[in-house]
Amino acid sequence: MSILMLILPGIGMDRELLIKLDSVSIKNDRGDKVFRDLKLLVEPGRSVVITGSSGSGKTLLIECLTGLRRIHSGSIVMFGKDISSGRKGAIRSIRRKIGGVGGAFGLVPSLSVSENIRMPMIISGERNKVQVDRLRKMLAEFSLIKRAGDFPSSLTRVEYSMVQYARASIGHQPLLIIDEPTAGLDSKSFRRVLDFLVKVAVSGRSMVVLTSEPIETKLPNTDYYQIANRALQ
Amino acid sequence: MTRITYIIKETFRNIGRFPGTALASVLSLTLLFLLFDLFWIASMTSEKFYDSLLSEIEMEIFLPEDLPDSSIADVSSSLILQEEIFTADYISKAIAREELERLVGIDLLIGYDSTNPLPRSFIAKIEPDFLTLEDMDRLKDKLQQQIPGTEIHYSRDWLQKAESTRSLILQVGLVLGLLILLATVLSSANSIRLMAKARAQGFHQMMLLGAGKTFVAMPFLIEGFLVTMFSTAAGWGILMYGRQKIAFTQFEIIYPVNDQIVAFCLIAGLLGAISGYIGVYKYLK
Repeated sequence: MSILMLILPGIGMDRELLIKLDSVSIKNDRGDKVFRDLKLLVEPGRSVVITGSSGSGKTLLIECLTGLRRIHSGSIVMFGKDISSGRKGAIRSIRRKIGGVGGAFGLVPSLSVSENIRMPMIISGERNKVQVDRLRKMLAEFSLIKRAGDFPSSLTRVEYSMVQYARASIGHQPLLIIDEPTAGLDSKSFRRVLDFLVKVAVSGRSMVVLTSEPIETKLPNTDYYQIANRALQ
Repeated sequence: MTRITYIIKETFRNIGRFPGTALASVLSLTLLFLLFDLFWIASMTSEKFYDSLLSEIEMEIFLPEDLPDSSIADVSSSLILQEEIFTADYISKAIAREELERLVGIDLLIGYDSTNPLPRSFIAKIEPDFLTLEDMDRLKDKLQQQIPGTEIHYSRDWLQKAESTRSLILQVGLVLGLLILLATVLSSANSIRLMAKARAQGFHQMMLLGAGKTFVAMPFLIEGFLVTMFSTAAGWGILMYGRQKIAFTQFEIIYPVNDQIVAFCLIAGLLGAISGYIGVYKYLK
């Protein structure tokens, strides 16, 4: 903590937050306002689960958090960097700290399962030995050892999802954005994903989980929101 | 896997995934460069031929009758001092008469020994750098001012035609070079665009993981560089093979030196890399 922060509490607080959405308005492609005056704070180690029906704007929110879409007004500060301005360097640096799972975060079709999982580490320039060690761990943890050399087109929906989880975890990314975590999973995988979410929630990492169906298991260190009236409640 | 390892692996995978497209690209580029190489050789050969013809050009400076023989040495010195003149040989009336006899096979001036009407002259060889129409005309004017009454002749019409032909060859070469440059960029960019199009979804996902445009585009840039450089080298390979098999005895064919060929291949490779970026750019937005 800097001396300035000790003298003047509050200064530099935004740097402590993983996500700060301040009076954010988001429009869809048709120009309709989907969110108005949106506010959200996510501190390190805490997670949020946002529930909303289909078409409520969950995907738009993910697009804004990953810099894929510009907001109409307000500001989005992530990891202390304002990404509302669309500055490419800031967005790229933030994306490297995010592990994504779900619809928006597909796998690279031309790369094998192994390459897809280790891609965040390749991009961030991690040493090869570290990559290999963590890859082995991820393949084992998500039961993907036999699928390591296969390509995404040959995976089942559950396997595809497991590869996304492995990729989102391999770099110890501090923030996970998960779009519909349990969609299309069988009961065994469903249980496994819930265990994974609990594990992440207590690990000190943070999550933003967007789901259309409420998660029955209560996740520790987690705040719950509902999308209603173009805002989070 | 380091970033560099990934980029290299991905480059060769691109070629492996679309071997037909890569082969078509190599073949079309090889033909284009072969055409360019042939023109390059033809222009170098014609340039050499032109230079050898130019070196034959002489300037004849006919002295006025009233100029005393005692002044010949001064005129000779004055000619040699001109920067444009390489050598100046004096042709006396007697030498001129011998030359005339040699040309027609009979001495036409028998009986006119004391009144030889042939003029005294100097035959000047010109420095290669000044063998242009403009320089020759300037030299002629200068000499006529320095030695009043002189009459100066050189193959002006031939030089004019030779210069316009040379200029035409240069213009055709430039147009051809630009056309081949454009065709190379378009052909290479188009084949890379086809490969990139099939992978656009993957680009989006990689950029969502924080990959920069350079990282995503680099395999395509390297591929453009390699394919174009290989095509250029293949074009030269075909020509060199032909050089060994076919021998011209009538005239000497001038080939570029190895350094020039290597530099040309590298420049073509860079052009290919630019084409690669053009091909992939659309999908990086």
